[in-house]
Amino acid sequence: MPDAALIGRYWPADSPLHRMDARAKLVMSLVLMAVVFVAQTFWGLAVCALFIGAFFLLARIPLGKALRSVAPLAFIVVVTALLNVFFVQGGPVYFEWWIVRISQAGLVQAAFIACRLLLLLLGVSLLTLTTQTLDITDAFEHLLKPLARFGVPAHELSMMMGIALRFLPQFAQELATIYRAQLSRAATFSKGRARTLLSLMVPLFTSAFRHAETLSSAMDARCYHGGAGRTRLHPLALSRTDAAAAGVLALMLACVFATNFIPH
Amino acid sequence: MPLAFEGVSYSYDDPKGRKKKRAHRSAQTEPAAAATGGARRWALHEVSFTLEDGEFLGLAGHTGSGKSTLIQHANGLLHPTEGRVLFDGRDLADKQAAQECRSAVGLVFQYPEHQLFAATVREDVAFGPRNLGLPEDEVAARVSEALALVHLDEADVAERSPFELSGGQQRRVAFAGVLAMRPRVLVLDEPVAGLDPVAREEFLALIGELHRTGLSLMMASHSMEDLARLADRILVLAGGEMLRLGTPEEVFSDGEGLRAVGLDVPAAQRFAEQLRAEGFRLPRALYDVESLAADIAAELGAGASAAEPAAAAAGPATSQQEGHHA
Repeated sequence: MPDAALIGRYWPADSPLHRMDARAKLVMSLVLMAVVFVAQTFWGLAVCALFIGAFFLLARIPLGKALRSVAPLAFIVVVTALLNVFFVQGGPVYFEWWIVRISQAGLVQAAFIACRLLLLLLGVSLLTLTTQTLDITDAFEHLLKPLARFGVPAHELSMMMGIALRFLPQFAQELATIYRAQLSRAATFSKGRARTLLSLMVPLFTSAFRHAETLSSAMDARCYHGGAGRTRLHPLALSRTDAAAAGVLALMLACVFATNFIPH
Repeated sequence: MPLAFEGVSYSYDDPKGRKKKRAHRSAQTEPAAAATGGARRWALHEVSFTLEDGEFLGLAGHTGSGKSTLIQHANGLLHPTEGRVLFDGRDLADKQAAQECRSAVGLVFQYPEHQLFAATVREDVAFGPRNLGLPEDEVAARVSEALALVHLDEADVAERSPFELSGGQQRRVAFAGVLAMRPRVLVLDEPVAGLDPVAREEFLALIGELHRTGLSLMMASHSMEDLARLADRILVLAGGEMLRLGTPEEVFSDGEGLRAVGLDVPAAQRFAEQLRAEGFRLPRALYDVESLAADIAAELGAGASAAEPAAAAAGPATSQQEGHHA
């Protein structure tokens, strides 16, 4: 339970990807996901993997670290793959027992989906590994700004998102402490009784309220008043790197698209 | 029933590699530790000591020196990457042993009042004894006993919500929750952090009382004054390694060494060092405010002249002030 690893926690390094504009990265990681979906063949996925691998290399993130950052979501990949194994039918049947029937098409489809999901996760983690949460929320706010005209509170939403993200590791740590304190009082959590769960949740919630009150006082003390008329210490600015990244992404899309026409 | 640390090292880096390591080690033994030692960052490294029965062991160290990590080894919440922790001769790496030691080794975390959860004080204190599977009348007896030990009036507070009590009272409730387990060893992590001066003094007095009832104590603290006053021995940690282990007199005889790792000696002791450097004859190894005041007065009285009574009056006053700042 302790040391709850968050998916793709920021990995500090000095690289072109780290220096990119957060807005550009946010948009481009959405495009990157779309590109992964464009790939219809294993060739396409291989091209995606090549590009994404290159991105990680460029971002100076060790591959082991990258894989570990998506490990908490590995079960999604496994479950989806298993579903495909059992429910997609076609081609030679390798195994049959009762209602379970494993065929070639199922296995191929499962491998394909698993690879695609893994690449998707790696693509997303590339964003969070190279961008600090504060920058992501800033970018989020910028991209929502056009909607402010229709009454969407862009700044408030991104501030809430930022605060929530900021407190996740804090609460994970506090939960670990509470858990250990209760273990020290001979609590057993293996049976998963509701009462023991409650004994963890109550202190966690009181602590959340305590933090919320302290934080709101601190924001008040600094005259925080929402979005109108705020300026930034580090304004976001697009640079040549972002243009280059867009170019590379376009190239990737073209390559992947081309692979769809390779006969198989 | 001593608690023994034998060459305990702990690394947060790869808690998963730990099990492999331990299985490995049972065949190979100690020297392997030295081979891997260079590559890792140790939160604790080669810590060995024994908490004797009835002893009060102080734990000093700068923030990040490994105090809290060490404390969590005391009842098997963390397991050493290398070395072992023995309680009552049993290795706490064994799950069963760790489980059993938790009723005998009471651990109070920092800010324990943040871990209160029950609707009433009685329920919260009863949490531990209930987990031990004791019958209800025994649980009730232990709750009364524990509340009395921390000087809370059972009739007054037992049915109230812990959240409506003052901070100091909440901490007492949290303490009672651990004491209700009837531990023989009490391990405290910064027990007086964040308390006002009055509550702080009351709490230290309470800890002293508990110690006199025969409980072994291990207390981590930033306050050298508190440790000098209460502890039989002090273990000083620096960067996860044992820097000193000895009586307060021994440990605080070397102010320079402690200052080098971001700690200090008690203010009165520091003032005594400075006076010695100026040529005062101060015979004791360890001074507190009162003994220092007495010895300065004696020293100045011996070489009595017209000007010196004023200095004698100033001396203790200064040390007193320092004592409050520290």
